[in-house]
Amino acid sequence: MAAPPGEAPLTAATNIEPFYVLHKGGAAASSSSSSAPSLPSSGRARRRIDVSGPASPNPKPGKRSRDDDAAEDDDDDELYERLRLDAFHCVWSKIQSTINEVLRGISLKLFDQVLRWVQESFSAVRSIARPSAAEVRQPYPLLTDVICRKIPTAFVLTKNAEFVDDITTFRDLAEYLESNGCHLAKLSATELSEKNGVGCCFRSLLRQLLSDVPDVADIFALASWYSAAENYDQPIVVVIDDLEQCSGDVLGELVMILSEWVIKIPIFFVMGIATTLDAPRKLLSSEALQRLEPCKLTLGSPSDRMNALVEAILVKPCAGFCISHEVAVFLRNYFFKHDGTITSFISALKLACSKHFSVEPLSFLCMGMLEEDRENFWHDKFNALPQELRKYASGLPSCTREKDSTKSGDNMVDGLSELMNIQKDWSSVLLCLYEAGKHGKVQLLDIFCEAVNPDLHTQKAPNLPNEKSGTSRRFIDQVMDTIRYLPVETLFCLLEVWSIHLNGMDKITNKVKELQSTTISTDSVRITKDKWPRRSTNSTGNSTVALNDKVAMLLDDVTRKFLVSVECLPFHEIVCFKNALIGNPRRMVQLDLVKSHKHLKCSCCRKNGIAVSASMHDTSIMCNLAQEYGDVINLHDWYISFDGIINSVHSKIKRKPHTSPSKKKSKPVAAESEAMIQAVTELQITGLLRMPSKRRPDLVQRIAFGL
Amino acid sequence: MALRGGHAAAAAGVSSGSEDDNEEAGFSRSYFLAKEKEPSSGKKRARAAGKLSDLNLVDEQVLRASLAEIPPKHEREVEALTRSYKEQYRNWLFELRCGFGLLMYGFGSKKMLLEDFASTTLSDFTVIVVNGYLPSINLKQEVLVILWRTFDFYIKALNSAKFSALLPFQVIVTIAEIFWEQTKLKRKRQTATRSQLQPFASQSIDDIISFLNNQTSDNGDDNVCLLIHNIDGPALRDTESQQYLAQVSCCPQVHVVASVDHVNAPLLWDKKMVHTQFKWSWYHVPTFAPYKVEGMHFSSLYTKCRERFLVSSQVTLNSHLTEFKDHDLVKIRKHSDGQDCLHIPLVSDALEKLLQELT
Repeated sequence: MAAPPGEAPLTAATNIEPFYVLHKGGAAASSSSSSAPSLPSSGRARRRIDVSGPASPNPKPGKRSRDDDAAEDDDDDELYERLRLDAFHCVWSKIQSTINEVLRGISLKLFDQVLRWVQESFSAVRSIARPSAAEVRQPYPLLTDVICRKIPTAFVLTKNAEFVDDITTFRDLAEYLESNGCHLAKLSATELSEKNGVGCCFRSLLRQLLSDVPDVADIFALASWYSAAENYDQPIVVVIDDLEQCSGDVLGELVMILSEWVIKIPIFFVMGIATTLDAPRKLLSSEALQRLEPCKLTLGSPSDRMNALVEAILVKPCAGFCISHEVAVFLRNYFFKHDGTITSFISALKLACSKHFSVEPLSFLCMGMLEEDRENFWHDKFNALPQELRKYASGLPSCTREKDSTKSGDNMVDGLSELMNIQKDWSSVLLCLYEAGKHGKVQLLDIFCEAVNPDLHTQKAPNLPNEKSGTSRRFIDQVMDTIRYLPVETLFCLLEVWSIHLNGMDKITNKVKELQSTTISTDSVRITKDKWPRRSTNSTGNSTVALNDKVAMLLDDVTRKFLVSVECLPFHEIVCFKNALIGNPRRMVQLDLVKSHKHLKCSCCRKNGIAVSASMHDTSIMCNLAQEYGDVINLHDWYISFDGIINSVHSKIKRKPHTSPSKKKSKPVAAESEAMIQAVTELQITGLLRMPSKRRPDLVQRIAFGL
Repeated sequence: MALRGGHAAAAAGVSSGSEDDNEEAGFSRSYFLAKEKEPSSGKKRARAAGKLSDLNLVDEQVLRASLAEIPPKHEREVEALTRSYKEQYRNWLFELRCGFGLLMYGFGSKKMLLEDFASTTLSDFTVIVVNGYLPSINLKQEVLVILWRTFDFYIKALNSAKFSALLPFQVIVTIAEIFWEQTKLKRKRQTATRSQLQPFASQSIDDIISFLNNQTSDNGDDNVCLLIHNIDGPALRDTESQQYLAQVSCCPQVHVVASVDHVNAPLLWDKKMVHTQFKWSWYHVPTFAPYKVEGMHFSSLYTKCRERFLVSSQVTLNSHLTEFKDHDLVKIRKHSDGQDCLHIPLVSDALEKLLQELT
């Protein structure tokens, strides 16, 4: 074993080891645990848990010792922790498979286009010439006509903010083409780099296509392999997923070589372009460009994919896990204003999901949403709950909020069932809103954020002119406006889609049907005022309402009635993640230092209302003083300021230098100097400061500014 | 107080970033240099901005003597703050088991916190502690010493690794060894000698990663946790190191708990590394604990360590290797793929004896 084995004590000696094994897990740990009393969980045998069956409650018969009770409590904790972990894996795997399905579904159109293009290109190449196996192996080109030296190339414009979103798309595309009979190879930007050169590309191509790669990787090896009967009837597709990151020279060289052989070895390129379609022109020489026969294809935009994902995993009850308004707004802002990648969004959602199952004791009940007989599942689980968890369930804020009503912890099963039903209606109405919003280019994530806002539900009354409801219903109101201006044909199509979404909500469906069956003229319809009361202020006395208004009013009514945020429902804490996700470590580290007393919770530092006091952490004092400077700090002045704070007349906590009396007299600044050196070193470690250079030893540079 | 004295100097500009990077450990050195170069006349003293040499600095020995005697501030509060994170240990473990890596940030040393977490909560895991705060030169030497001890095993794989990424490479090999040992135990092969590690000897780092990717087990006891102090530290800051760590972190039975101290640490990773490999779950855990070990390594220990090193660059390594070759301490063999393989011409028993003597 390279590193010093196990049992390494935490001493300075081990601190200078680059790495060491702190302890071994499993059997090795248990055998040595007798000598390691500091590991509390190692000595106790673990109970294996059967997740599929109902959890068994602790019977606690007769009198029991405190130790027994404590041990059982610990066992219960472990049992439910394991249940929550399994529930997380189950729920997330359901969400992940839904995501994969949705993304693949969106890309399928493009995949079909690419396949069709490959087939057409192959037919075109074969129509020029159909060389025999022997001709293919001949080491000189078959034709010299320039038309016969063009490689069909599909440029796929990905439109993504970051390449990370394309990784799975191109992986799926490669699988799709391969499953449809193409020979397939992928070249990465690393392989197409100056460092590796065209030889590396050939080696990589051969490794992917041939079972045995010869020592000399060249075009003849490829030609020889392709001339074999089993390979000859399919084209070779080379996927380069990130064109902009490749070396233009290496790619150009590869293009020039392969183009000479394209009739004998029909190799086609599929190249991913993240920026604009003129990227190949910028990257490749005109000579290489002339050897390409381009075809432009476009992938769906990130916002299209985001809409589809939000619909599948957040709006439709896909796995029983949902997010609060605060979390939704965070994710929305992160996507639209900061990051722009689907990958980050999914990653953040997974993190939210894991945090939910980690912190919410009853979150394992989410599994019930995936069960066929969910009420039975919840009954079993509820009956098996230890007393402590039952108390917790009845004490959930959403239940205590409605104490006067019939909701309590005892009817948790009914509560969860009702929550599911209400969520189903909520989902249907939200989809109706989105269908209408599509015509006004409203994003689903925006409407979703409003629909999960608990304040929306409290605002039941219709909009009045002076009402301050603009912020909570901005996008929903935009949808209503969109409906008012829709052409009649579009409106009828919309109603058609609504009737599908509202399936199961009979009363509303009837109203939709009524609207569909209304005899109309091209622009208006006559209805009675009492049947369709118009809510706008200028409607009094007007009995003729345009069909558009009527549809908008229906949606408005339905929205107000059914768009109830999950956060307003009892027991929502079990399925809904509410804690805010945080980020920005750069800001947080600075805040730690500027407001150190908030973390240390001491009573001394802000006692006199002084911003910077001597009792504060030295690094915190230095950091606070540094806020007064620009991008460079004069060490002399900084030290004087620091010394002034430490020896301030207001300060009762003076640092006593621990030097001998004689030294103390002559050199009173030893402690302050050392404290400052430590503080500055710590600021350097955090990256907030850069050390003085040899040329300017009196100055340090500030790196991070602003909180 | 002349708090704004720095502005005049700011106009004069500062030195380039690369030069400053070389000077990172040099604050205390500059302090003492300033003391040594204290001007004899007041003529040169700046009127606009004060100089470090204007201060009545104490002798270095006095300063060092006072170092250990500075009474720490808020000792109880710092302890209480660190203790308060114990409540989160179960949540951290939960997220680790959910497949996330834990990344701890916030002001103060997190070394003791993380090792306490590992000792008390990760008892089912094999925990490997990696000290990223060590100067990279130290690590290269340490790894080379280890390399000497187990020469033939590593050198082939080393050829495929970048010299600057030796530490992650070494860690990855260690993890592979652990899994190999576990596999052997399962197969009840009792004769655990180094020769049985032969499967790795002819493999590149990609092959070792591939071996780790194939390690799956339903038994949670087989998991390995990499506890990396200062993943943004000098030893691990280079791209290759981060790439290797990212690759190993997404192997199915490997988990990563790491700490960062530098505010710009996130710039080390691209989105692919963050979201599909490390899968970080960030935790803000300021401790305000002094950077005792890490500080040390950024300044004075650097010099001490340097003195202990045998080699400090690839050039000197090559000259040492040539020397060893001339004295038949090592032999060079050509591998089938054309790469040079170094090996020590001793039987395994003799190598083991040598190893014992070295340790």
